[in-house]
Amino acid sequence: MKNAKRVTLTVLVLMLTWVLAACGDNSGSNNGGAANNGGGEDKGDPTELTMAFISFGNMPDLELVQNEMNKITTAKINATVKLMPISISAWTQQMNLLMAGSEQLDLIVTSTLMNYSSQVAKGQLLPMNDLLEQYGEGIKSVLSPEILNATKIDGEVYGIPSTRDMAADYGVVIRKDLIDKYKVDVTQIKTFADLEPVLKLIKDGEPGVAPLVQQNQTQTVTEVMVGADYDVLGDKFGVLEDAGQGELKVVNYFESAKYKEALAVVRRWFEAGYIMKDISTSQETGPSLVKAGKAAGYVANMKPGFEVQESRNSGREMVGIRLTEPMTSTTNITSFMLSIAKNTIDENKAMQLLDLLYSDADLMNLLTNGIEGKHYVKQDDGLIAKPEGVTDTGYMLNQWEVGNNFLGHVWAGEDPQIWDKMKAFNEASIKSKALGFTFNADSVKTEIAAVTNVLNQYRVGLETGTLDPEKNLTDFNAKLKAAGLTKIIEEKQKQLDEWAKSN
Amino acid sequence: MKASPIQQALIHLFFVLAACACLFPFLLLFMASLTDQNVIVRDGYSLLPSKFSLEAYTYLLNDSSTLVRSYGITILVTIIGTAAGLAISSLIAYPLSRKDMPLRGVLSFIVFFTLLFNGGLVPTYLLYTEVFHLKNTLLALIVPGLLTNGFFILLIRTFFSTSIPVPVIESAFIDGASEFKIFYRIVLPLSLPIMATIGLMLMIAYWNDWYNGLIYVTDTKLFSLQNVLNRMLSDIQFLQTNSFGSNQSETTANIPLDTIRMAMAAIGIIPIMIAYPFFQKYFVKGLTIGAVKG
Repeated sequence: MKNAKRVTLTVLVLMLTWVLAACGDNSGSNNGGAANNGGGEDKGDPTELTMAFISFGNMPDLELVQNEMNKITTAKINATVKLMPISISAWTQQMNLLMAGSEQLDLIVTSTLMNYSSQVAKGQLLPMNDLLEQYGEGIKSVLSPEILNATKIDGEVYGIPSTRDMAADYGVVIRKDLIDKYKVDVTQIKTFADLEPVLKLIKDGEPGVAPLVQQNQTQTVTEVMVGADYDVLGDKFGVLEDAGQGELKVVNYFESAKYKEALAVVRRWFEAGYIMKDISTSQETGPSLVKAGKAAGYVANMKPGFEVQESRNSGREMVGIRLTEPMTSTTNITSFMLSIAKNTIDENKAMQLLDLLYSDADLMNLLTNGIEGKHYVKQDDGLIAKPEGVTDTGYMLNQWEVGNNFLGHVWAGEDPQIWDKMKAFNEASIKSKALGFTFNADSVKTEIAAVTNVLNQYRVGLETGTLDPEKNLTDFNAKLKAAGLTKIIEEKQKQLDEWAKSN
Repeated sequence: MKASPIQQALIHLFFVLAACACLFPFLLLFMASLTDQNVIVRDGYSLLPSKFSLEAYTYLLNDSSTLVRSYGITILVTIIGTAAGLAISSLIAYPLSRKDMPLRGVLSFIVFFTLLFNGGLVPTYLLYTEVFHLKNTLLALIVPGLLTNGFFILLIRTFFSTSIPVPVIESAFIDGASEFKIFYRIVLPLSLPIMATIGLMLMIAYWNDWYNGLIYVTDTKLFSLQNVLNRMLSDIQFLQTNSFGSNQSETTANIPLDTIRMAMAAIGIIPIMIAYPFFQKYFVKGLTIGAVKG
């Protein structure tokens, strides 16, 4: 008996110590930020703001950059910033969990590709209209009202898009050596139909090389061909024809005329051998197929500077052939934004910091490129490059995620005028009439899941020409409708009509 | 009855083929990890690639400080987790196996209950992060694995109650041994097979675990091997399919994705393959004894 008691006691004590130790462990690190909450106007200790963003790879020098950034932010808005990189593999999971709890989180990257509208519906993001009015001078001078409007849900801005390419034009990139060898005049290629003779030349002259592949499975040949003809309204379940220039009538993409035409062309190309045979199952990306010498070129949605980028990716010099006008729909703008999370300790400071990312070039360069002299050096022509002899600089951020990229230095190898070209590109693009409409799919979730299953079954096969559209397109549409596509389209139309009334 | 030589030969042949069928994928995986990326894209996987390349391993080892560190974390977590898991599970299982234990039925039910139901992701997360403050600590990689193994407890309990004769315990008690002494001097030595079995299962579970890391750890310094591999892979994949021009695309463009995948699998799997033979003889015995008589 005595022994049993002693054992129980020991166990209890052990458990208690463990619980207490665990509690004690972390409290130290939490104090820093919370203590300054609300502390007077720009006096006293600076507020510590947390900024969560998507990271790729290691950033060993993160703290160095953070310290440099804090020098600027402390002086300007009496706040410091704690960078919180979260890997893309954990992002969605972490965001859900962080938002469910009460951990401090001030600025976060949001995207319509990653639940933006449902985050807003759940109240996880703060409305920003008033904050923007009060602290958003820098932001408003960079982003036109048109663009800010695109982020609105029920009239409120919940996220500020990063400046980058906010439109896409569609076309192909092809190996330059082949273009030269067959003396193709690329200026004469204006439409996808004009491409056919070129594909034939490559097919006949280069055995073992597929004339055309796609950049990856999400951008099929058909999709790129009709890319500029539709505003897909977020997903492809219910779209607007004529790039959203006509009336706001949601139609079934998979039954529309342009889509059908494109399918027929792609099928013909596939049968003629212009498109790689196992394209519908290959997981290889276009650039890696070109690099391995298996493909001559691929379809893609493009932007200024795309050729430079793709030449680097595929290890060969590539020529870009643009076959459509640039077009902007809501997703182009809302695919990367910064929002203020509901767990913020001080939304005013968070907004001020956000504004700095659009107006302070030094801060923005620190964040996107790192510390001058350590992570990059300035060349005589004003471009920047990696310091000599350094391959892995220890700091690498994906600048397209956050802030005003047009403030950043341009890397050597890029077009020095890239930002100006990008601006012009964004301005010149065709804007869909439904720009600013974001579909909230919560009420038709089940249907979306069912329809997506059907889509996965047919889409890649049809859109690469592997399946014969004659037989399969009708089946495809019948199954889509059975899975609830009509209901999704109706819901989308309803939301779109409401949106149109208030805008 | 003895099988005729022909029967014997056929049986051997069958198992030799079966063994080859199991080995083949590993061999292919290993060879693929040594193949040149462009060869894979062009010709597909093969056992004898036309061009060998160590590029994948070079890339992984390039970042060797991260890899070594994460190996260390995984080994540490596996050792502590396995030891603590074995201790806790057997300490719960032993009283549950004793017929003279008060409230035995209730406690057994509670353990069994956790097999069927749990609190769900968000409440569990909140409990560990906001009550116990385990986020971004090493404990976050260990504790969740310790407390959700009702299955192991039941296996051990069944082994205890069926393979340890009660008279042995009673005689030890008469000889003046304390409960604790009975447990570690008599019961544990008699239970090596089940301990080795559960030990191996725990070890594999800790070694392969990336889920706890995904949820509770954002600090890259605390990433386990599986987390590092998982993150590297999804990073590269994302960057290659969504090319956004700037300084990093130059780096990622030259990463041999297919061979890296294979090399990662090889790196992750080798230690477990080395450890397995040492446990195997206990493994078969413990599993059948613990499970069949349940």
